[in-house]
Amino acid sequence: MFTTGFKFFFGLSAAFCAAALVYGYTTGGSHVGPVSLGWKGGVGDHIGYGVLVGLAVACLTVSLVLVSFRDADASAQARLQNLAEVLTDQPVRASFWPVVAAFGVGAAAVGLVLHPMVFVLGLALLFLSLVEWTMDAWSDRATGDAEINRELRNRIMAPIEIPVVGTLGVAVIVLAASRILLNVSKLEAVWVAGVASGLILIGAWVYTSRPGLGRRLVRILGPVAALLLLVGGVLAAVAGERDFVHHEVDTHEETGEPAVHEESG
Amino acid sequence: MTLTDSPVAESEAAADAVGAAAPASPAETIGAPRGLAQPFMTNDAAQVGRLFVISSLLLGLGTAAIGVLLSLGRTDAVAPDDLFGGLNAYFRMWTLYRVSFLLLVVMPLLLGLAMAVMPAQVGAGNAAFPRAALASFWSWKIGAVIVVASVLAGGGWGALDGVTGNESDAMALTLLGTGIMIVGLLLGAIVVATTVISLRRTGMSLLDVPPFSWSVLVTAVVWLLSLPVAIANIVVIYADLRGRPAIAFGRPESPDIWLQLDWLVEQPAVYAMAVPVLGIIFTAAGAAVGARSSRPEAMLIVVGLFGLLAMGGWSQDYFTAPQDLRDGLVYVAFGLAAVVPVVATAGGVGELAMRGSKTLDRLLDTRMLGAGAALKLLGAAALVGALRVIEPLDLLETSATWAVFHGVVVAGLVAAVAALATWPQLLFGPIQPRLARGAIVLLFGGGGLLVLADLASGFIADDPDLMALALDGSAALNVVALIGSLLVAAGLSVALFGVASALKPSAADTPEAAGSEPA
Repeated sequence: MFTTGFKFFFGLSAAFCAAALVYGYTTGGSHVGPVSLGWKGGVGDHIGYGVLVGLAVACLTVSLVLVSFRDADASAQARLQNLAEVLTDQPVRASFWPVVAAFGVGAAAVGLVLHPMVFVLGLALLFLSLVEWTMDAWSDRATGDAEINRELRNRIMAPIEIPVVGTLGVAVIVLAASRILLNVSKLEAVWVAGVASGLILIGAWVYTSRPGLGRRLVRILGPVAALLLLVGGVLAAVAGERDFVHHEVDTHEETGEPAVHEESG
Repeated sequence: MTLTDSPVAESEAAADAVGAAAPASPAETIGAPRGLAQPFMTNDAAQVGRLFVISSLLLGLGTAAIGVLLSLGRTDAVAPDDLFGGLNAYFRMWTLYRVSFLLLVVMPLLLGLAMAVMPAQVGAGNAAFPRAALASFWSWKIGAVIVVASVLAGGGWGALDGVTGNESDAMALTLLGTGIMIVGLLLGAIVVATTVISLRRTGMSLLDVPPFSWSVLVTAVVWLLSLPVAIANIVVIYADLRGRPAIAFGRPESPDIWLQLDWLVEQPAVYAMAVPVLGIIFTAAGAAVGARSSRPEAMLIVVGLFGLLAMGGWSQDYFTAPQDLRDGLVYVAFGLAAVVPVVATAGGVGELAMRGSKTLDRLLDTRMLGAGAALKLLGAAALVGALRVIEPLDLLETSATWAVFHGVVVAGLVAAVAALATWPQLLFGPIQPRLARGAIVLLFGGGGLLVLADLASGFIADDPDLMALALDGSAALNVVALIGSLLVAAGLSVALFGVASALKPSAADTPEAAGSEPA
């Protein structure tokens, strides 16, 4: 009747309730304050009491969800629905998120000592991998069919993943390309941008005119171009921007209009 | 001849060795990644286990090389300062050698064997939480890279001769890397324990699980109860080290950092590495002679008792006076009692030999040879451990401490080679018997010499010093220790070569090659 997940989280909720009561009374709560959630009297230390009660409510909610959905357990659901065939647990799919999580932990550790940006990057990787891992774990057991599970997972995650990956991709392209263009001279920047635009145009033309060949080319040249862009961007960022001579702008004494004295380099 | 069609496999012992009616790994049926993607994406815990084994053997080779250098530094041939370039560098390598053998070699090696072998033994297609198993491996691996890189950059677990600002940062990285490694190993322990507890085939009670699976369950529990204490130590040290200004316990210019963590490599905590060794000994010996114990429940008790005696989080003497802890009844009792399960294991192996086939081939089988060698080394370590806690002998703060360490570590390595020969079809394929025997003999010889040299030096030492630059008492002992270190390095090289040979497709693909030993 009561699933394992429900019992676990319900027990946890009860424990947090008890902890909140003890904490409330031991930090100056009145007689009925901690029991009535502060409706009648004080609850002692507000922050600690609030955190504990919040945790208790969260666990209670999770426990109710779990008992409603039978712990998302295929065999339990099959029993509940009187299905003749018990849906067995599906084996997990291959995933690279555990490795990303491990790298996130490593990056956070290194960043903790060396640079805050690396630390934040590590935490971001860790958070991202935990979200993806959670969804993968859920979808593995959503139904008894691996293909349906995959579709279910993609239906939920793709609307999030595609815009995020697209945004990150655009950000990386813009950042890397801008570093390259700012590193070379003004004239060279024009050439680089022109050649790159030309290559994109030719690639697009090949892709549309000969789809079969175009797909193969994109598969091969796409990662190479992305890698080149990334490496070029990093190298250009390390080398720094070209020297700029800033405009000296002052005001014409008589007309009051700006007068430019020097060009940029 | 395969293990399954040999007379050995026809006996009940084969069920322990292989795992009866183990379903095929489901990971094989759902598009398991291949090629370069495999180590990064695999959903098969057995594959993760094999990654652990290969990685830890490779790291073992590097660690053994450090051991050779340290031993060389003890002799008159080269001064330690010349060899390492200063006292701090020597201390870094001295501590790295110990931590590395513990966290980079033996523990991951045995964890990897557990992940690869145990699911099949208990009838599970795959381990519980295969993704967590992969995360465990990569966390451990990344932690290991951070530790090694930071130690080479001037970090480590404290220093003896002052530090620069950069070295303090490197020390912080070493601590964090150590913590990540431990977290990775704990994650693996959770995977292993959950598999034995939850994924046994229907009808198999905990009392029915094969010896190795039982021993890894006990090990996982011991690690889960002990290693978090080390993480707590690391958190405290890190907070002290990075505090402004650094306060008492985290002074980088002293060995204080190491002294807060050294309990991990001393008895009783060091025995936590050896619990699975007992399981391997029982299984390998049983498979070699084709017999099963008449009292399997006694084996469970023996392994459980050894696990209980390997709980070491309490035995830290940094925050209390060493004499209060080390002369205490509990510490002495733990030290003396550790001999009991090892002796009982010897009795169990003797019973297996009596019940099973007594032909010379069986008794000289690689698995029997490995089981016997591991048992002798573990017995030597437990015996030295018992002598250490006898106060009148004055061995506590001497190199006898490292005799226990070396005995346990090399017993773990020997047992791993025996495991490679016992479960070829679950690991890398059949390892050539002569290579396996060569590795066992070299490791056993090396481990024995190291134990002897450390123990003898402990008896001879006038001025006990755990971090002595030279083994006291006799120049000859230094040479003996050097030979021991060289033999251990050679044994690990042969074991790695054996694994590499077994990985050749031509050897693994032939059905005849699936067995490790001629009947």
